[in-house]
Amino acid sequence: MKKLRAFKKYKYIEHPSDTGIEFSGNTLEELFSNAAAGMFSIICDLRLIKPEETRVIKISRKGIEYEDLIVLWLERLLYLHEVESMLFSRFEVKKIVENSNNIMLDARIYGERIDFNRHEIKIAIKAPTYHTLGIEKDSIKNSWQGRIIFDV
Amino acid sequence: MNEYKINKISDYKWEIEKDEKYGMRVPGIIFANKELLDHAVREKTIDQVMNVATLPGILKASFAMPDIHYGYGFPIGGVAAFGEEGGVISPGGVGFDISCGVRILRSNLDIKDVKNKLEDIMGILSMSVPKGVGSKGKIRLSKSELTRLIVEGVNWAIKNGYGWEEDKFFIEEKGQMEDTNPDYVSSEAMERGLSQVGTLGSGNHFLEIQVVDTIYDKAAAEAMGLNEGQIAIMIHSGSRGFGHQICSDYIRVMQKTAAEYGIKLPDRQLACAPLDSPESKRYYRAMNCAANYAMVNRQCLANWAREALEKFFKKSQEKLGLNIVYDVSHNIAKFEEYNIDGEVKKVCVHRKGATRSFPPGHRDIPGQYKSIGQPVLIPGDMGTYSYILVGTEKAMDESFGSTCHGAGRLMSRTKAKKSVQGSELKKELFDDKGIVVMAGSMAGLAEEAPLAYKDVNEVVDIAHNAGLSKKAVRLRPLGVLKG
Repeated sequence: MKKLRAFKKYKYIEHPSDTGIEFSGNTLEELFSNAAAGMFSIICDLRLIKPEETRVIKISRKGIEYEDLIVLWLERLLYLHEVESMLFSRFEVKKIVENSNNIMLDARIYGERIDFNRHEIKIAIKAPTYHTLGIEKDSIKNSWQGRIIFDV
Repeated sequence: MNEYKINKISDYKWEIEKDEKYGMRVPGIIFANKELLDHAVREKTIDQVMNVATLPGILKASFAMPDIHYGYGFPIGGVAAFGEEGGVISPGGVGFDISCGVRILRSNLDIKDVKNKLEDIMGILSMSVPKGVGSKGKIRLSKSELTRLIVEGVNWAIKNGYGWEEDKFFIEEKGQMEDTNPDYVSSEAMERGLSQVGTLGSGNHFLEIQVVDTIYDKAAAEAMGLNEGQIAIMIHSGSRGFGHQICSDYIRVMQKTAAEYGIKLPDRQLACAPLDSPESKRYYRAMNCAANYAMVNRQCLANWAREALEKFFKKSQEKLGLNIVYDVSHNIAKFEEYNIDGEVKKVCVHRKGATRSFPPGHRDIPGQYKSIGQPVLIPGDMGTYSYILVGTEKAMDESFGSTCHGAGRLMSRTKAKKSVQGSELKKELFDDKGIVVMAGSMAGLAEEAPLAYKDVNEVVDIAHNAGLSKKAVRLRPLGVLKG
């Protein structure tokens, strides 16, 4: 499969007290996958997280926008991270479908349980915020870009 | 960056003129010196102060305390009060870490008792205090037990052996927010809360062994049982994933309903709902559950610290005199009464990184502190100082009974990490100041380096000079435990 990598998947952005990322993707699905990778890279070095276990995530909501969906998606990942003591490093958002008033996300994620002998938890993320949150399609480049600030 | 006009009211108080075109309903008031004000201007924090001033039913002004810095939605150090009629409650105005706060315990130990033993003491504390996600919490609750905990607050902890009977009298609200309803807490929040009771968390949270370094107010220090050279333990933590989830849940709800109530939001993170709406009532009761969780969390952390010191010094907790001096939150919304234009009104005060600062004689402070005012606990950075101040009457008139909550960040986390390495910082603090630092992550430690923070002495002096609280005691860190 030809891999399109027009730009970096995610980069950290300066925030005076918290932390954030800008992320991009050739498709909306890739955009969401990259945002998740960006978020977990704040918590732990992704290279140290073996993609041994998998979880399936499905989100379906009425009357929301992509911005709401990304917050829901990242919150769900943080929930699994905390409740199951998991770290994730591979994110495959398979499809994001918009149907009349409904948006649906279907994803599979890969990771492993936290092992303090191998994983340094750099910082915990409390939550993704709506502050300056944005998701945009660049029609010229035919790609997607986003920005999110996390409370840490 | 917004355009605005700043008027100097005094050396420590500045007004951002009300801009009706921007939608401001009240002016902004910033308690700062010129230097810190300029910093807030450069950081665009004034924009956040102005945004809060647009919220419906805001009273008097959108306030910022001397440790003001750029947050998300509300500024950190932001205080806003809303009238029962026409006012709102905003989960973002409380923050994700609901009832994040500080607790301080005193001891009968003197600095001589810990000399040359700090590394061992910190080692035992580090073993005894679970840090957070992935670490084995000492308490694993059932859902029904967690339901009891979030309703009963610190009473639950004491009943279950995590503390002393008298502890609750030295905690804000006696350790229990009463207007709760667990039915308004999502199952996700409950799940996140099950294993995180009694865990420290990361970021700026800490447990420190400190020594009383300077006494400014003898009577206040005496009432708090503090003397120069005495060892104290300071704990900074909040409601963990439980509170974070509640905030997230209700921001989502209020994003939707804000438009239905005709509320225009300059920043989506300021999502809010009218105080008399069902959404608002549900959030308030869920938020109080999280406040109870936070107070229990600090109660359990204090309990682990007491047990660790008991083990180390081979003396009972009681003999070591590990009494709570006080415990107060700095991220919360509370209904309080204030005199507004000659009339006593009940208002909903949001404190987002601001500490309650009630004056002497106030009915909501412990009897022992009635004559001195409520202790205000101000953690500084790990390399300088922390403070205990006391509340003032002026704070009631000027800032809805509020003052600063810390030093306030000066530098972003990324910049801090670029400026200093965690391991170097740890060594430097030990070599230069004898401070023993134990941290789960060196990268996390670098983000919290002293150079990333404003000078706490300066911030506290402004709060003192502005009359928002009065300096009582200064403490110096000896041992620092970070998640």
